[in-house]
Amino acid sequence: MPLDTSSYSLALLRLDGRRWNELRRLTAQISTQASADGSSYLEMGNTKVICTVSGPSEQKAAGSDRGERDKAGVRVEISVAGFSGVERKRRGRNDKRINEMATTISSAFQTNLFTNLFPHSTITLSLHLLSSDGSVLAALLNASTLALIDAGIPMKDYICACTAGSTSSYSSNDESADPLLDLNAQEELELPFLTVATLGGSDSVSVLVMETKVQVGRLEGMLAVGVDGCKQVREVLDEVVRERGSRILEGTKL
Amino acid sequence: MAPSSTQQILLSPAELSYIHTSLSLSPPIRPDARTASQFRPLVAETDILPSTNGSARICFADGTEAIVGIKAEVEKSRPIYQQNVEELDLSAGAADDEDEDDEVGNGVKGLNEWVELSVEIPGFRDDDSMPVFLSAMLSEALLADGDFTKRLWINRRFHWKLYLDILLLSQPLSYPLPLLSLTTHLALLSTRLPKLKSELDEDPLFDDDWDASEFLYPRAVGKARTRPPVTLLVMAVQENIIFDPSKEELAVAEVVLAVSIGEMSPPSGGGSMEVDSGKGERDLRLLAIRTIDPPSRLTHSGVPNTLNTATGGSAAGTSEQNSSQRESVVEEGVWQPPRGGAKRKLIAAMISKVLERGGVAEEVLDGLDAVELG
Repeated sequence: MPLDTSSYSLALLRLDGRRWNELRRLTAQISTQASADGSSYLEMGNTKVICTVSGPSEQKAAGSDRGERDKAGVRVEISVAGFSGVERKRRGRNDKRINEMATTISSAFQTNLFTNLFPHSTITLSLHLLSSDGSVLAALLNASTLALIDAGIPMKDYICACTAGSTSSYSSNDESADPLLDLNAQEELELPFLTVATLGGSDSVSVLVMETKVQVGRLEGMLAVGVDGCKQVREVLDEVVRERGSRILEGTKL
Repeated sequence: MAPSSTQQILLSPAELSYIHTSLSLSPPIRPDARTASQFRPLVAETDILPSTNGSARICFADGTEAIVGIKAEVEKSRPIYQQNVEELDLSAGAADDEDEDDEVGNGVKGLNEWVELSVEIPGFRDDDSMPVFLSAMLSEALLADGDFTKRLWINRRFHWKLYLDILLLSQPLSYPLPLLSLTTHLALLSTRLPKLKSELDEDPLFDDDWDASEFLYPRAVGKARTRPPVTLLVMAVQENIIFDPSKEELAVAEVVLAVSIGEMSPPSGGGSMEVDSGKGERDLRLLAIRTIDPPSRLTHSGVPNTLNTATGGSAAGTSEQNSSQRESVVEEGVWQPPRGGAKRKLIAAMISKVLERGGVAEEVLDGLDAVELG
């Protein structure tokens, strides 16, 4: 992928025409499915995610119990549609990468939700990835937040996530590397990136995942840009929730 | 017999008996006050995913929702030696007649393995009986007329491989077959394949302009000429035939049928193209029928007063005697799960009610016509 310094340094524009600190178009809907307790639909650029929440409901018998009696467990199921990528690909239930994302989301919400209010119960998040174009984990986290709000499960604050990367790869020792916000799939292939999620507008990081190598000096810049992006994401999510709230107050349900 | 949904029915024998009685009245009184052949409203949209060849989403009124995405890939056909002899004869005819419209019949052959269909239902593994049966029933209807795979033919060496991924996004509240079938139907109608630029048996080369792409089901002036199959659920309580049953109605059904219907293209002669095929012109074909195990068989029966010690009756000594006595008592207003199979007359009546002119199938297809295709 030719996002090397040659094209970026000329105009400081990325392949899709964004500058380094711009998010892609982020839109969301809440309460998209009538039969679920809570549901949401979120688009980050071309990444499209649907989340439905069921519960808190009675804990299922043996197997899935988390061994906690005085708290609700958060169960996360992620299904990646075969048509989500460029090539059609089916992924099995025990794809390691998907399982890891599920665990990450589950543990993030386990601490953010007031699970102690629902003893002996489970909250099931089922996430469908319909179209993937980078920032998958971030999109899943944001969609989960919206669906949990729709389900009316009390939480401390929104968990807002986005990705941040760096314009030069690990091996090229480029001094003037810029941090980048919200990478798409092409950029994710090439560049080092991390996914960061913060608790609402604060600076407290609740999720930080990085699977690529990066020089340690660049990490701070990436993280700062990522946290800043999360604040922008929070504004958008908050807008969606407020709009929904005002619709309910007006009495026009949708 | 295809299995019924594994969702537990949370209705008492008294409630089941109430629903059963009201459904067996003439005309039947349904819990949601519909008429026997009335469908629930639904929300449908197509072309929702840019990364697929065709996609559709349908929301039923009970909140169940499905998304279908269709992807096509070019694949090399494996040589079939049996057909080679036939095709040699035909190749002479095919050479002088290269008209695109006449391609069906000129050595165009399709194989069922060119279509791959997978159904995903939350809470089920992909090898559970429910998704497996559903995908079998859907692909059965799709491949029944043998015409569908011919559309995937590119030339003698290559073909399209079509992947249909069907996702049920909500819990399977009622039997999800009609929902999945209608969504697949719309997705197939919106499926587009890139236009072929190469000729004959060359390596296929496609026009990279997506606006020039061709629909898998070609249309005449915005309206599909032929359509993919639709599978409908029909149930019967005593003599009453009821369409689009809800979860509660399925719980007391005596017979449940999944009927797949297709529509043949009107004769595509030169003159008849201009004639707007009005309503009632549909040439409907029955493609497949499956009986579905009604969930009512798994319910517990009510206890009539004569067998209940609390109301002055006398219960039998052992549980076996009790259940055998229960079988022989038929009392109005006491729920008894249906026994035995469906009567042939009833099944015939159900099918003709679907297919008759101005019947349910036409109504459904007219409704689907109204969905704006991208």
